[in-house]
This record gives sequence, C-alpha cells and structure tokens, in this order.
Amino acid sequence: MQPISKDHSRIRGAHLVLLVVLAAVVLLYPLLTAKFPVYQRLGALVLLYAIGASAWNIVGGYAGQVSIGHAVFFGVGAYSAVLAYHHLGLPPIAGVPLGVLVSVLIAAIIGVPTVRLAGHYFSMATIAVAELTRVMTTTSDFLGGAQGLTGPTVPRSVLDLSFTSSLPYYYIFLAVLAGVLWLTWRMETSRMGFYLRAIKDNERAARSLGVMAGRYKLYAFMLSAALTSLAGGLYLTMFGFIDPDSGLGILISVKMLIMAALGGAGLLFGPLIGAAILVPLEEISNSVLGGRGAGLTFVVYGAIIMIIARFLPAGLLGLLTRLFKKSAAPGDRDAA
Amino acid sequence: MLWIGRAVLGVVVATALSAGAMAQQTVKIGAIYPLSGNAASAGNYSKAAIELGVDIVNNAHPDLKDLPLAATQGLPGLNGAKIEVVFADNQGTPAAGQNQALRLITEEKVVALLGAYQSGITVTASAMAERHGIPFVTPESVAANLTERGFKWFFRTTPVAGDIAKAYVEFLKQRKTAGAKVETVAIVNENTEYGTSIASVVKDEATKGGFNVALVIPYPANTTDVQPQVLQLKEKNPDVVVFVSYTSDAILYAKTMKDLNYKPAILIADNAGFNDPSFVKTSGALVEGLINRSSFAAGKPGSVSAIINDMFKKKTGVDLDDPSGRGLQGFLTLAEAINRAGSTDPAKIQAALRATDLKANQVVTGYNGVKFDEKGQNTLGSSLLTQMQGGAYVPVWPADKASGEIKLPYKGW
Repeated sequence: MQPISKDHSRIRGAHLVLLVVLAAVVLLYPLLTAKFPVYQRLGALVLLYAIGASAWNIVGGYAGQVSIGHAVFFGVGAYSAVLAYHHLGLPPIAGVPLGVLVSVLIAAIIGVPTVRLAGHYFSMATIAVAELTRVMTTTSDFLGGAQGLTGPTVPRSVLDLSFTSSLPYYYIFLAVLAGVLWLTWRMETSRMGFYLRAIKDNERAARSLGVMAGRYKLYAFMLSAALTSLAGGLYLTMFGFIDPDSGLGILISVKMLIMAALGGAGLLFGPLIGAAILVPLEEISNSVLGGRGAGLTFVVYGAIIMIIARFLPAGLLGLLTRLFKKSAAPGDRDAA
Repeated sequence: MLWIGRAVLGVVVATALSAGAMAQQTVKIGAIYPLSGNAASAGNYSKAAIELGVDIVNNAHPDLKDLPLAATQGLPGLNGAKIEVVFADNQGTPAAGQNQALRLITEEKVVALLGAYQSGITVTASAMAERHGIPFVTPESVAANLTERGFKWFFRTTPVAGDIAKAYVEFLKQRKTAGAKVETVAIVNENTEYGTSIASVVKDEATKGGFNVALVIPYPANTTDVQPQVLQLKEKNPDVVVFVSYTSDAILYAKTMKDLNYKPAILIADNAGFNDPSFVKTSGALVEGLINRSSFAAGKPGSVSAIINDMFKKKTGVDLDDPSGRGLQGFLTLAEAINRAGSTDPAKIQAALRATDLKANQVVTGYNGVKFDEKGQNTLGSSLLTQMQGGAYVPVWPADKASGEIKLPYKGW
C-alpha cells in the first residue's frame, strides 16, 4: 500500500504544477504574443470556437443528442447582434439577449416533438431547421438577404466591441468560455448531469427508474442553444459581417461537432482541446499552403481529422483520461 | 502543453517570416482570393491574371507601351524596385478572409491589399485594412454598400451593378429609337446574392427607363429542370429576356429553350455563367445572337488588350475572362499608384490612389479610365456589350468599342 500512495501523491503534485502552468499560459497568452498579432488573434479564435463547441457539447456530448443544426442558434445570435446595430443603431452586443431568447424558443419548438425520437431523427430535424432558416434568410430583405449585413467597422464607442487588437476579444471570450464551462460543470455535477448520463447510457433503463428523459434532453437542448447563440453574437462583434452562409451554413454546425468529438464529446474540457487543435491547424495550414491555390489546406486538414478519428475514437481527452487512469489509483475519476 | 507548444511554434514561425521580409528589396502587395471552395476556379484565374500583371510591371514590355509601367522594368519611381504579390486563400469565408488580411498586413508587411472576389469577404478583409491604415483595392466586388461605409483606405476599380444595369437600359433605348419593338422585359435570376442584387437593380433601371418589367423569375442555381421557367417566359412572351445565371443553369436554359422552341427578340445574359469557357464550348452554338456583358474584350489584333489576352492564353490555356481582366486592371491601378507615390508608406500610396487619373487608352479593360470619387469608387468604370457570333463573343456596343455589327433579332440555334 505505502509505495502506491506515494506514487499517487507525486502524480497529483505533477498534475497540480501542470494545471498552474496551463492556467498561467492561458491567462498570459495575449501578452506573450503581443508582438505577433496573428497568433494573438489565433488565441481569441480558439476561445471563440471553443465556446460554440462547448455549447454544442451540452446536448451533443452529455445528452447524446447529435445536433447537426446548431448553426441556426449561432446564426440567430449573430443576426440579432447585427440587427440591433443595423436597424436600431445600438451596439451589436445589445442584440445578444434577444438572440439568446429566440434561440431558446427555437430549441423548444424543435425539441418538444423531436427529443422523443431515436437519435438519427433528431439530427435530421436539426439539419432541416437550419437549412430552412438559411434559405429563408436568403430571401428576407429585413435580414439583408443573400448579401448579408455589416456591423460597425469604425467603433462609435467601446460598447461596439470593435477593436483593432485581438487582446480585448481574447479576454472577453475567455470570460465567456469560463462561464460556459462553469455552467456545464454545475450541470454535470447536478441531478440533471446524472440523469443525462443515465439517459445516454440506456434511455429505457433510465425511464424505468423514473427519469423524465424527454424533459431533461429538452432542457439540455435549450441550454445548449442559448450558449451557442452567445458564440454567434461574439463572432459578429469580432468579424463585423454576417451572411446566410457564414452565419447559418451547415459547415458551422459540423465544425462545432468535429471540435467537440475530436477533443472528447461529453467531457468538460473536450471541446476546448478540440478547438485548440483544429483552429490553429486550419489557420496555419491555410497560411502556409493556401496561397498556392492547390486546395492543399483541406487535404491536410481532412487527413489529420481522419487519423484522429481512426485511432482515437473517444477523442484526445478520452485518450489522456485513459492514460491518467492507468497511472492513477483506481476510483480517482477526476482526471477528466 | 498544447498551448505552450502552439505559442512556441507561433513565435518561431513569426520570427522566421519577419526575418525573411526584411531581406527583401521588393514592394510587397497582398492578394486575397478564393483559391479553394466554391469559387476556386474563378479565384485561380484571377491569381493568374495578377501574376501576369506582375510580369508586365517587373519586366520590359515595349509592345505594351501605352500601359503605365509596362515598357520599363520594375517601378521607376522606386529605383526600379520589383513588385511581389503574396497570395492568400480566403476559402470562401468572411472569417478566413479577415484572418488572412491580418496575416498579410502584420507578418508579410504588405503595403497594400487586393481582393477579395466575393463581396462579403471584401467587407471583412477591407475592415481589417482600414483599421491598420493599409490601402485596399477591390478590382471585382460589386456590392453597393462597400463604398458606403465611410472608409478612407478603400478603393474600387470595377463598375457596380448600377453601371451595368444602365448599360443594358441605354442599349435597349437605342434599339427602341432605331424602331425595334422593345416594351416588355423579363428578368430570370439565380436566387443568391449575385442574382438577386443584379436583378433588383436591372428592374429599377428598366422601370426608370420607361420599360415594363413584366416578369421576374428567381430560381435556385443548382436546379436540374428549368422547363417551368421557360414555359412561363413563353406564355408572357416579353420582348427582352435578361438572364442572371451561373454556369450549369446557363447551359440548362440554353438546351431547354431549344427543346421548347422559345426565342425572345432580344436575349441578354449578365456575364457569369454565360461567360464561362465551358458554357461557350457546350452551348455557344445554341445561343447565336445572345447579348452579353463584359468589361474585357480582346479587341483587334495588335491592340494592348489583344496582346494581353494572348499572354494570358499562353499562361493558362484559356482567354482572359471578364472578372480576371478586372482583377488585372485593379492590380495595374494599384501598381501605378505605388510608383507615383514613390514610396512604400501606406499613407503616401493612399494619397496617390486618390489622385489616380488613368485615361481610357491606359487601361486593359473597357473602362473609360480610372478616377476615384471621395468614396473610393471608380467613376469611369463601364461595361461593354458583346454578342455571340459564330461561337465566340464579339464586342458590339457601344459603337466606339465595337469590333462587330449587332445582329438582331436573336437567332438561337
């Protein structure tokens, strides 16, 4: 017994040091990269996509309901922000609460009839709603039609959140991501988290024990929708432009899914890890290879995704967890 | 760990890049184009056209002496410095376009930017240039709002949708005065940004010009059957039909109109799909007499545009198309301004762009010249109309730029 527990505490200590270093790097990253705006921005982008992927994770990972239509919530968030500016002259951020509200409503409307359905039907319903919204947006003058809408490029006040440097974006996104992860963690450790895990493992068994599966899946979907919409609103403040493809395109939904799955769906930090790998991979491969015009970027990007999918089906965090579990004492399930 | 690795990698890569930049004695311009994604084909032709422009500026081309900077090597105003264009892929997304703009400005240290083909991407990429105080020239994005943003560093050489529509309406008015029956107009447009924006402007201008727009038919460009649309046209039988289409749908319309034996008196096609080399190859014989729009026409042998077209054909195997021709003109306009500025200081280049005054014989495209208004819009941009005659487009209007006679009514097959 003695040697094992000594070993255990050494590993714990190593974990702690690693965590402190990680936290310091995350907090100081924009200052460390102040001279390299592209990498500073990359940090902000990672956080932004991590917010979206973490939001998706709540319904897609924890509740096991694979949505491929989350672009609709992202789009609603981005459009609400730009509409507040375009039609009312308000700072885009003022539209965010409305976006959250509308997203929750849409989630409820899609969710009530579909969460009862077996997995694939839910995915199909979400795709259908997202694509329908995209097509309808294309023909709506109020929403800028196919040409899209532009946010404030030259900031009128700091509330417009239109900055040249990526530093403010980084810290705003970091704060929001921390909030999203905190909420997810609270959910994970609450009764709802246990219910969701039970439902994901075996919905029939969970139902037979009195878990109201439909209701909890719906809650997860609504929470996920609200947080995804937040990511959309933040995207708009950073890029200042939205059109049907960049706000509601299916690629947006797929990206959230891939990031979460790659990092580890259903794990708290999975989506963040996924974003921290995929976003730089995409940006750097585009910067290095894109200018040649041979479309190599996506070949490399796709190949790496395939390799990870083939060899790490549980995501990278799943692999790390397994490794840590092997070294840690049994029963220590905090490694994730 | 990943974060650390990424930061270290970032520092290493960035240092390597900036050290490389310092060793150069050239003037760097950034160009953001769709080199992958839906518009990759068009983007890569634009890239080839701009590379041709670099060749024209950097090497001596005495046969092109009317063009500024062509006869000399490099930029005389900068002691013969050569221009280098750094290309970046916008991947067809506004986000990638903006990220690449930042990279070109801060890492490649470009003195000006060109791009970005799709209007929506020009919006985000030029916003980045505006914030950093770097001139941005768009040679081809036509969305009206681009020049309405109060930008100080933004310039557009291409004519916009309004100019194009005016050309059509002017042409139709002339036909009317010449005695042809031109009363009713129908517009058939693909239903995304390009099609809807052109269609709405053409409708407004035609109505203003005293024509009756009897029918507007939007349709999805990826359609596999256009019989309903053609039957609708056949029933209303307007005097003029204007198509705003992409390639596969343009081919489909040409075939279906033959199958249903439908021929309007005047058929106008707005560029895009109808200008695609693959449309001309597959369907050219079905649309004899079709009127098209272009800013670039090769013109008579020995002319500047004909020589440039030959150079482009030698490089890529196809004729210089309209958007790529406009891309080339955007690049040449920017190069001329940098030379006149005699400096790589972005503010001096901006001032030189403002003072640009190119005459009609100094441009490659059919523009009347290049001169920017206070919003950065070229006031001398114009379109010429071409007609399908014997399997190829021939410039027919306006008369001073025409190399062939207009033959109407529309003949078809």
